[in-house]
Amino acid sequence: MIEPTWRLPPIPVLLVGIVLIACAETGGGAMAQFKLELARWARGTMLARPEVHGLVGVRDVDEQILDEALVKLDGGLRLFHLHAEGMGTIIIVTTMVATSLVVRSTLRRTIVALITVGGAVYPLGYLLWSAVIPYRGIAGGKQLAEWLVWIPFGSAAIIAMWLLAGSIAWQWLDRRSAR
Amino acid sequence: MRRPPTLLVLVAVVMLALGETAGALLSPLRPAVERYARARVAANPTAHGLTGSAEYDDEVRNRAVFTAEAGVSFFHTHAGGLAPVILLAGTIVASVVAQPLARGILFGLLTVGSLFPLGYVVYALAALETGRDAGVALAERYVLTPLGTFAILALVGLTVILGRAARASQPAR
Repeated sequence: MIEPTWRLPPIPVLLVGIVLIACAETGGGAMAQFKLELARWARGTMLARPEVHGLVGVRDVDEQILDEALVKLDGGLRLFHLHAEGMGTIIIVTTMVATSLVVRSTLRRTIVALITVGGAVYPLGYLLWSAVIPYRGIAGGKQLAEWLVWIPFGSAAIIAMWLLAGSIAWQWLDRRSAR
Repeated sequence: MRRPPTLLVLVAVVMLALGETAGALLSPLRPAVERYARARVAANPTAHGLTGSAEYDDEVRNRAVFTAEAGVSFFHTHAGGLAPVILLAGTIVASVVAQPLARGILFGLLTVGSLFPLGYVVYALAALETGRDAGVALAERYVLTPLGTFAILALVGLTVILGRAARASQPAR
């Protein structure tokens, strides 16, 4: 039996996926290229806010705190690189599946919109976290990124994927029972 | 490009959805996961070799919790990575492999192989229930290796078929 062909998702959706992958690649390169400058900037910003980071003025204690914050900042940038690359691919693949297999147009548009917006913004939460660490500390930055980005946009992408899975399962069961 | 069978697409999308949901367990729900892991270690003291010595037991508990969290993390990354690969490979099979038997076998192998990341859920749970080393060995032996082999066989089979097709399409010298 010859299977039907894939349908392309809307061009703006493809553009979002590709731009996200390009940002991930650029971020990965920039991370390595500007590592020293980033570390210097973060260190200076943290030293200017000792109360936020719990710096006590004792070199041995403070260096440990600063090192931990710098490791987390670097980790946030790495996670942006990984998640943007992965979500870019996932946006393209899952919207192609939705465009080809979800019959109801309202549901199809909802799934495509949620995956595109949720998937594209979610990785930016890691950039936000890294950028905010020097100003608000590790936990403060994480809380901000969680509530502003990860929870709302991550949930949107997860809900869309379950809607897509449910829709395909419904269609598959329907087709089997019709045989 | 032709679509692979709906069942293969469904399994890949479900794995993707599960993988993304597991991602949430690693961040906002992490404290709940850690609490659950510690409770399971405490419920299986013999399997984990807990001795009653606070310092030693803490070390064992921490290692078991770390292994369980690593299992969830591996599941998240593998489910997110393997599902697009399976969909792409399935699309190539549907578009290029002409022989129905070969196509059917490759679709079957890809569908079962796409369940591979579930092995890491078993890895995480078994490490808590049967002890770290026994749990990891169990997951590797009974889930990860067989399911991974299915995926690898599908990709090797597709490579062989594509290689033959490429040779056949070359003009004779």
